[in-house]
Amino acid sequence: MTPAHDDRLWLNAYIDGELDPAHALEFEQRLAADPALAAAHARMTALRGAIRDRVPRERASPLLRRRVAALARPRPAPGWRALAASVAAAFVAGSALTYIALGRCGSAPVAQDVVASHMRALMASQPIEVASSDRHTVKPWFNGKLPESPRVVDLAAQGFPLVGGRIDVIGLTPTPTLVYRRRLHVISLTALPSKLGAARPRAIDGYNIVDWTDGNLTYWAVSDLSAPELEDFARAFRAGEAEP
Amino acid sequence: MSRADDRRFADVVLPHLDDAYALARWVVGNRADAEDVVQEACLRALRGISGFSGANSRAWTLAIVRNAAHDWLRKNRPAAIVAVDDLEQVERLQACGDAAVSPPPDDPETALIVRAEELALQAAIEGLPTVFRETLVLRDVQGLGYREIAEITGVPIGTVMSRLARARDRLIETLGANK
Repeated sequence: MTPAHDDRLWLNAYIDGELDPAHALEFEQRLAADPALAAAHARMTALRGAIRDRVPRERASPLLRRRVAALARPRPAPGWRALAASVAAAFVAGSALTYIALGRCGSAPVAQDVVASHMRALMASQPIEVASSDRHTVKPWFNGKLPESPRVVDLAAQGFPLVGGRIDVIGLTPTPTLVYRRRLHVISLTALPSKLGAARPRAIDGYNIVDWTDGNLTYWAVSDLSAPELEDFARAFRAGEAEP
Repeated sequence: MSRADDRRFADVVLPHLDDAYALARWVVGNRADAEDVVQEACLRALRGISGFSGANSRAWTLAIVRNAAHDWLRKNRPAAIVAVDDLEQVERLQACGDAAVSPPPDDPETALIVRAEELALQAAIEGLPTVFRETLVLRDVQGLGYREIAEITGVPIGTVMSRLARARDRLIETLGANK
């Protein structure tokens, strides 16, 4: 009288221990009386045992663990060191080539310095000197250290939260650099007097570069983010409302 | 993101990272994509952490991972998402038909299942449609209860039960018929 479909649901619930004792007892009595149901039970139990014994439980890799832990800590933390370590190898391999390629022909010293600062920051135990997502904390921090503090824009709503800032030295000039984040990618945004820098490569050593000029300043955005996303960042920053 | 949110995230989400990864791995099918999915899910969890009620942190976390994995599938493997209603209706019709003929106990089918190799098992699970696969994995690999699975997959317990029954029937059919 009971449809087979319902029998199977009961069987599954019984095997999974999801039946209350009264129903479990009732089902056991039916199981004893119904050979077809008992056969289905045997196969089901065999399957569960096989899965339990022979399908490995997947575990998060230590790298994923660090990447995720770093999401909640845009401050100095082991996450940064892990990130830095992964960058370090690429940096060691790449920097010599960069030095030869760029140093020899001297084509883009500013871009080179900007990318080198970004890499150095990723490798440092602390990628930022002032860690804050509040532009009203970041901007004043520059005030005491540089003649001019940079324009700081809050881009959290556009998916580029502010992480902090630092001072880089580009061509012997101390310059303000803002640090933003996109997922796990770090974006360094450096503002320079426009007279510095002529050649403007789009990428160095796998780091994408976007630059634009605003008044007497040239902005350089560097990141391992994809070029289109870095362009999005640049657009958002330019369109962004400066602090009061 | 405040420091309090960061701490809450560490308390609520991080303890379930293995489960999160395992679920993503079984839904999207490979390690690299699963890691991206988990990362994306954790960002969503971090943004939404203030909305967590405090009831069941594992179910809350896995529900976000599950949604992120399905979003990923829709974007990257649209063919993998079958209209579930259709699928379950077809299954229901088939089930009524073939349940009548059941082999006796100690049948060779059961023996084959008992001896199923790890790779054959994995391949059979991977061959299941997505909603059956995730339900089976949550229950049999990750050991969750029906209520928690219902919460994570956003369906009533009755649907969890029928998906689980379907998934197991299919596996039995695949493994029992081998060789």
